[in-house]
Amino acid sequence: MSEMPTGANSPRDDVALDVSAATASAPEPATGRRRSRLRLNSSMIIGACLVVLILGLALVSFVWTPYGPSEIDPVARLRAGSPAHPFGTDRFGRDTLTWVMYGARITLMVGVVAVGIALLIGTPIGIVSAIFAKQPWGMWIDAVIMRANDILLAFPALLLAIIFAAVYSPGTGPAMVAVGIAAIPGFARVARSGTLQVLGSEYVRAARASNRRIPAIAVVHVLPNIAGMVIVQASVAFAISVLAEAGLSFLGLGTQAPVPSWGRMLQESQQFLSTHPELALWPGLFIALAVLGFNLLGDGLRDRFDPKMDARGA
Amino acid sequence: MKTPRIMTWVAGAAAVSLLLTACSAGASDSGEDAKKDSMTIAFTAEPVNLDFTSTSGVAIPEALMENVYESLVRLDGEGEIQPALAKDWSLSDDRTTYTFELQEGVKFSNGADLTSEDVKYSYERVQKDWKNALKSKMDIVKSIETPDDDTVNIELKKPSNTWLFNLTSLVGAVFDTEGTKDLANEAIGTGPFEIEKFTRGQSIDFAARDDYWGDKPALNSVQFKYFKDAVSASNALKSGEIDLVSNLQAPELADEYQSDDYQIVSGTTNGEVVLSMNNAKGIFKDKKAREAVMHAIDRKAVLDTAWAGYGELIGSMVPPTDPYYEDLTGVWKYDPKKAKELVDEAGIKGEEFSFTVPNLPYAKAISEIVSAQLEEVGLKAKVTTQEFPAVWLDKTFTEHDFDMSVINHAEPRDILTVFSKDYYIGYDDAKIKKIAEKADTGTEEEYISGMKEIAKTITDDAASDFLFLFPNLVIAKADIEGVPANRVSDAFKIADLSWK
Amino acid sequence: MLTYAANRAIQFALSLIVASVVVFALMSLLPGNAAQVALGTNATPEAVAALEVQYGLDRPPVVRYFDWVVGMLGGDFGTSYVTGAAITPVIIDSVQVTAILVISAIALSILIAVPLGTFAALEQRSWIGVTISAASQVGIAVPNFLAAIILVIVFSLTLGWFPSQGWMAPIEGVGGFLLRLVLPVVSLALVQAAILTRYVRSAVLDVMREDFIRTARAKGLTRTKALFVHGLRNAAIPVITVAGVQLATLLVGAVIIEQIFVLPGIGSELVRAVANRDLIAVQGIVMVLVLLVLIINLIVDILVPVVDPRIRNAA
Repeated sequence: MSEMPTGANSPRDDVALDVSAATASAPEPATGRRRSRLRLNSSMIIGACLVVLILGLALVSFVWTPYGPSEIDPVARLRAGSPAHPFGTDRFGRDTLTWVMYGARITLMVGVVAVGIALLIGTPIGIVSAIFAKQPWGMWIDAVIMRANDILLAFPALLLAIIFAAVYSPGTGPAMVAVGIAAIPGFARVARSGTLQVLGSEYVRAARASNRRIPAIAVVHVLPNIAGMVIVQASVAFAISVLAEAGLSFLGLGTQAPVPSWGRMLQESQQFLSTHPELALWPGLFIALAVLGFNLLGDGLRDRFDPKMDARGA
Repeated sequence: MKTPRIMTWVAGAAAVSLLLTACSAGASDSGEDAKKDSMTIAFTAEPVNLDFTSTSGVAIPEALMENVYESLVRLDGEGEIQPALAKDWSLSDDRTTYTFELQEGVKFSNGADLTSEDVKYSYERVQKDWKNALKSKMDIVKSIETPDDDTVNIELKKPSNTWLFNLTSLVGAVFDTEGTKDLANEAIGTGPFEIEKFTRGQSIDFAARDDYWGDKPALNSVQFKYFKDAVSASNALKSGEIDLVSNLQAPELADEYQSDDYQIVSGTTNGEVVLSMNNAKGIFKDKKAREAVMHAIDRKAVLDTAWAGYGELIGSMVPPTDPYYEDLTGVWKYDPKKAKELVDEAGIKGEEFSFTVPNLPYAKAISEIVSAQLEEVGLKAKVTTQEFPAVWLDKTFTEHDFDMSVINHAEPRDILTVFSKDYYIGYDDAKIKKIAEKADTGTEEEYISGMKEIAKTITDDAASDFLFLFPNLVIAKADIEGVPANRVSDAFKIADLSWK
Repeated sequence: MLTYAANRAIQFALSLIVASVVVFALMSLLPGNAAQVALGTNATPEAVAALEVQYGLDRPPVVRYFDWVVGMLGGDFGTSYVTGAAITPVIIDSVQVTAILVISAIALSILIAVPLGTFAALEQRSWIGVTISAASQVGIAVPNFLAAIILVIVFSLTLGWFPSQGWMAPIEGVGGFLLRLVLPVVSLALVQAAILTRYVRSAVLDVMREDFIRTARAKGLTRTKALFVHGLRNAAIPVITVAGVQLATLLVGAVIIEQIFVLPGIGSELVRAVANRDLIAVQGIVMVLVLLVLIINLIVDILVPVVDPRIRNAA
């Protein structure tokens, strides 16, 4: 989507890592020195709370919601908040709180699937690419992979989603896949830079000197060391996918009726904006809370995992 | 592609230079201070080109018929046939040959005079060159003769009550023999307006013609402006950028215009919003299943929630402006208990069926409440939204791959088309075919009684659920006069409008 | 430096070729027959087949692909199935609209973000710095279409300062053009500015930690002075990169804003072409968008080493 709170998509790998690291609420050297690995920071706490809130809404909706999502009541339509309907009702008399709870499911599902696709495809690509880059005979493979990555970058999530919607008809599925594919280069970059760093380190050189095979090195040394940065990237990509789902549903290219989704609620509330603004308020608020939550969580995690900061803090 | 230019911009050109380099970008909006002989009108269905002979859909005739193109005859607001380019006509005793006498002094906007040759050329062209499916309305024409410049004789293969009516629609449009070279971009007609500028996807500018044969319209220049959705159109009306919203596609917005500054006009259209069921195959082949649906749907609630109560319950495929209208709303009563029984009898409780919904505002809204109501009686609809027109036309309409759908059948007097065997609903038309044949070739009275019988038969068969008649909901500034309440034809006639 | 630029140019050309194949292949997957859609309901199979021949859809894909590419190289994107008009002028017009919109938005967001971000970094522990950081975090979380809706309600419907929608070409009136541009540009710029502010802030913080700033401060310069004399050039690098990325994503990303404000931009053209199954138009528009993104990336790649001596030497 348009709001890309990450620089991981930037065209130059080395700059990319710098920039994505820079989103962190970069600490002063003085405080950094006192920082311990276990210390929680405020972004992480707030972020985690918001994510838990959204997750909680979604989980609770599987066991209990105030009403059914398709439970209509033409008499009690367009009601303001009341004890019976804390968030009010929509044009069909459906309970808005129920819809917000169900909407959390779609939001999380889109995020999990999209980030899953990007992570599971992007990370191995990045690692493999970096390993090849370290082989004298494999540099061209690395170059080809990274150029393919660049070409993929030329297809932003929204463009892919519009094309996919046309090919497979609009729906949550094509939207998730489009957002996921568009996020692959970000993960590949992060994994590649991380891997390059690890492979250049003393202990890996030592391991290679003792004739350990490259796959073994990748599993033993690379994965644990880049996991942190990948998790950070995942958190940020999650925030992007929340925005993307909302935007696509708003355009009518994402989640379709009758599935409750925040973007769709927002889109349908448009004609009630002057008369019943609360119909737009709730989905808008929860979209913002979810994005904020995942971004803050990402920032907080970055403070802990960023190798650069570790070096500085030590 | 102007790559170098764009590179300059990216390299950091100031915003000011943008303004100067991109002067040709996009196109015009309405003028700042509207004079009282101009008007800007909002629509939401945009014409992709100006050629309705090869492109189907309502948007093109809506803009062009009666404004740019005229037919021999036209419909008035009550649905009566009135003279247009033909000042008079007569019908032979065997009721197969019409003789039309043309208006005098009619000129096309390219300066050519209207002659009987133009009529012959235009109507023969329908069969020969048109690609629009509606051309079949001219199938019945046997021959066209032009005894002199002002007379046209049209012989039909058999008597028809509907042909003259059909002539009021776009198939009756009269073109100049020299004016059909580039129909997609250039519209040359005899109407009171000509097209000054067509900006694809955005607007059409109309200018009144000085040499129009009839009464000069009150407005001199009119812009049709095309919006993505009803909300942006309504916003533009509220902030004064447009003067009138034609057929508001978000009726909930109408409530905001209950003031002295605006008028809300709600009339009828020819559009029956049909909850169509596949009669030919699947779960609704069984009449019991269809009856269950008829009893399960609370049409009043559907209308109130999905379309804010604007519209009219009809109960059949006939709008009240048609001569053979009959109130059939009482045939199928909302009765969920009965519906449940029928669901049990038919043995379809909980059986999932496909409900394909075109992604149009009214259809999406209706699908939400209809599927909820069906669920209450144990009918489980699997809703799939389909892009309209591309996907819906392909899957539902052409391949008949659906059990239930919902669509506004907007064409006038379309009951026999929609309920013919090969149409997507797959209605078994054996029963009504004979009646239809007799009605069309019979007298006016036989026509009316025959058509009534057909409508009743279709409703009794529970062939589909007629949810409501789509309203013609117009919001206009209060000082506009002549906003027609009913939309009985394809056209949005500009000449009716004026400022107080 | 020259070899580097040449290398990038070759990569650019290769990327373009691969992208064109991808786009063409994707389009051939589109369901819904263009001829059927053009003819609408009740069209006979014969009529559809005849139109397919007229459109050239019956030719083998390879022939169609080369036909298309050769046409594009000559600046001809073909003729639309649906409108019967040439596609090239439509693309040129709509790209300009989007470019004006997006570049103005990025420019405005830089104007907002650079001072705010720098200030937030210099004052990072004061309440103002914290407030700016928090506000930018919240700003990122607001979808731009929500911002647009709110802006329309406040500044158009309630206050009546700006039109709620529409486009006017500058040639038809610079005043009207600017007036109509305000709300869409601000809707885009607010969110982008929030993102950019955070990058500027971190970039400045990073630079402040660099040795040369410390040296400068040791020589007696104040923090602010040291930054302005030595640091801004370095802080600009990540900002350029991010602004480039934002520009690239907004080209398509602005489509929602274009739709809300009824602007005839390239994103809106794409959505319309897709809805009409105007295959050849979709193909052309996607290709142009991809080309623009590649160009922006290329420019950023060339610009960064120009600004940053360290990368220049490395490259």
